[in-house]
Amino acid sequence: MEINWGIVFAAAAAVLSAAMAGVGSAIGVGMAGQAAAGVVSEDPDRFGSCLLLQLLPGTQGIYGLLIAFVIATKAGLLGGAVQAVSVTNGINLLLAACPAAFGGWLSAIAQGKVAVSGINLVAKKPEEFGKAMLMTVMVETYAVLALLISFLLVNGVKIG
Amino acid sequence: MIVSMKRMTLVAHKADEANILNALQATRAIEVISSGEDNGALAALERAQTRLQQLGDALKTMRPYAQKKSFLVSPAEAKAEELFSMLPEAVALCDKLSLLKRELSATKSEIDKNETLIAALRPWESFPADMQTYPISKHVKYFTGLIAASDVEKLENIDAVAEYQLFNEGILRTCVVACPVDEAKSVANFLKSLDWTDYLFPKMPGTPREAMEELSEKNRTLNAKQVELENELRESATGREPLVEGAYDAAVIERDRALAAAELARSAATFQLEGWLPADKEAIVSQAIHSVTDAYYFDVREPEDGETPPSYVENSAFVTPFEQVTNLYSRPDPKGIDATPYMTPFYVLLFGMMLSDAGYGLVLSLLCFLFIKLKKPSGGTAGFARVLFWGGLSTMLWGVLIGTFFGMDFDVLFGTVNKFPLILDPMTDPIGMLIICFGLGFLHVLFGLGLRMKLSLSRGDWRTAFYDTLSWIFVLVGLVMFGIGSAVAGVPAIIGKIGLYMAILGAVTLLIFKGRESKNPVGRTAQGLFELYQISGYLSDILSYSRLFALGVATGVIATVFNDLCNMLMTSPNILMKIMGTAVGIALLIALHAFGLAINTLGAFVHTARLQYVEFFGKFYEAGGRPFSPLGYRTKHVRISQESPDTAK
Repeated sequence: MEINWGIVFAAAAAVLSAAMAGVGSAIGVGMAGQAAAGVVSEDPDRFGSCLLLQLLPGTQGIYGLLIAFVIATKAGLLGGAVQAVSVTNGINLLLAACPAAFGGWLSAIAQGKVAVSGINLVAKKPEEFGKAMLMTVMVETYAVLALLISFLLVNGVKIG
Repeated sequence: MIVSMKRMTLVAHKADEANILNALQATRAIEVISSGEDNGALAALERAQTRLQQLGDALKTMRPYAQKKSFLVSPAEAKAEELFSMLPEAVALCDKLSLLKRELSATKSEIDKNETLIAALRPWESFPADMQTYPISKHVKYFTGLIAASDVEKLENIDAVAEYQLFNEGILRTCVVACPVDEAKSVANFLKSLDWTDYLFPKMPGTPREAMEELSEKNRTLNAKQVELENELRESATGREPLVEGAYDAAVIERDRALAAAELARSAATFQLEGWLPADKEAIVSQAIHSVTDAYYFDVREPEDGETPPSYVENSAFVTPFEQVTNLYSRPDPKGIDATPYMTPFYVLLFGMMLSDAGYGLVLSLLCFLFIKLKKPSGGTAGFARVLFWGGLSTMLWGVLIGTFFGMDFDVLFGTVNKFPLILDPMTDPIGMLIICFGLGFLHVLFGLGLRMKLSLSRGDWRTAFYDTLSWIFVLVGLVMFGIGSAVAGVPAIIGKIGLYMAILGAVTLLIFKGRESKNPVGRTAQGLFELYQISGYLSDILSYSRLFALGVATGVIATVFNDLCNMLMTSPNILMKIMGTAVGIALLIALHAFGLAINTLGAFVHTARLQYVEFFGKFYEAGGRPFSPLGYRTKHVRISQESPDTAK
């Protein structure tokens, strides 16, 4: 049986994007969650602000999923007729997935670290929650930019 | 808007002190400044704090018996006097509760002690003699202890001089060894070499079994007593929570007043109060003092240099909730500008653009509306609920403009053809959407620069306004006009030309005047060049608004993913599977959209806040004011209703 390399590359693109960004977010949210649990054990009233900070590194996983879904729909991987994806288009999709995959992966971990520090900040100075949040969101900017360029590139690949 | 603060001084008779403080507390308009001297009011403060502590402890005691409050019940309202009338009864209840609690814990520890004793005696149950009298003998020495079962055989080694008896089975066996007094030392040494622990019987008469029975009997009585005490505690606590909560709040008010009293300066017959009050509350304050006494001296003046007034803002009802967003960053410097009124329209606009789904907006607004109406929150929570309410409305509007409702196209929903989206669909025209985002960002940044200019002008510093700020506005507007002129067909060439000249004029102004404080021409030029390099900063500011597009698309695509996922479940050819799939699918759809709404609302909130804090506030905002914390009613459970119309603004 002949392998349709175009589809294989498209599938790899979707997998890469969802998996890498998801792994990054899981690590980031996990780290922040540990720190948050520590703070809440001392002061349960901090739960709300700690939870918000913990959630922030979680968005990269969603961005990765989003790009994966757009790619999968485009290549007809989600049921229905599989599109005729040329090898060039497949590789283009794979490259287009890279910003969301790697940007999401590493930025989620970095953001998780800032979130941990932010949670410690909230533990000591609850009134400075806004600043902790802002610092954490600063990292996310680059995940958003990665998402943006991945989306534009995927959108630019014309299939069929 | 920032309300200017005034420094007040009040001198009055000591006899009127309590009444005046009481009246001032009701105005919620003054912040007391510490006189820095010990005025003998500390004892009263300590009493107030102790009482607050007591009531707090009582509330903790009562918590297990309290009725579960529904989440959406709004806090009670009462007048301050009503709360104070609760105090005596609540304090009496408090004393009773603490007595009961102390007795209860004493009973519990007694029971525990007896249980421990019983457990220790159980291995000795078959010991036949009286625990206190058996070892009294002139010729025999008894060793009582616990020996490891594995060492029991070794006891045979001293068979010649000693007798032993075991009383139970198990890993540790209770054992009594008896020997002539002369041999006591050697037997003791021998026992030490074994796995042996000495045991001392408790100071109780009779055999262990009798003692255990006695202890069990005691515990039966104590258990009955415990149940009785618990019942009594429950009876005293049930339904009395509102009383103690009210009294707790009364104690808070009293404590705050005592705190203020401790700050005053006192002479033999008078006291002096120094404080801050908002300029527009002067009449209310003097009226409040006047209602107590005629004999006073009251002076209000502008703050002097070196005195830092607290930062206090007042805004319209629409803008006020958004102060919470500003406060998350920092309060405004009292000499600066309150960013909230300027930020609010952009906040609402940008929030809606990031969430941009008519369905999500509808749900968000509805939830916030219900929350505000039913729970009647106060303070920060109320502010954020209103911010999200307005954000939800804006989200609905944007959702209609780009045509999505829970991730579905309006065209699909209404069966119309190409009627929606009203402006454009970011999925098919991403570049168009990006241009809208950058355009909005450009306006936002320009608006910030305009505010900086306004601030400089209001301080009479026209040089900074024109040389440093207006020049940048020229550069930015000029560049954009030039760009439009050259990139978009059909625009008259003159616009591009004007833009180019504006940009050059602005840049030259910056180059020449930025370093105007430097005498050295080289240094001056270098400063100008460095300032021009800031163009990269403006570029990244405006590019940062691309997040509007990215987050908007994220919401839409994720919602579509959820819909498709559930659609797959619902479209099975098998009728039975279809019914089950539909049930599961609908439940899943609701849960997934709730999740999507929550995570995207969080994203929209924080990213809009970031655009405000970094891109907008960075242009003009002077942070660092300390909050105004007036003597007022900082109650926890009961809201104090306004007493007289004159305390209203």
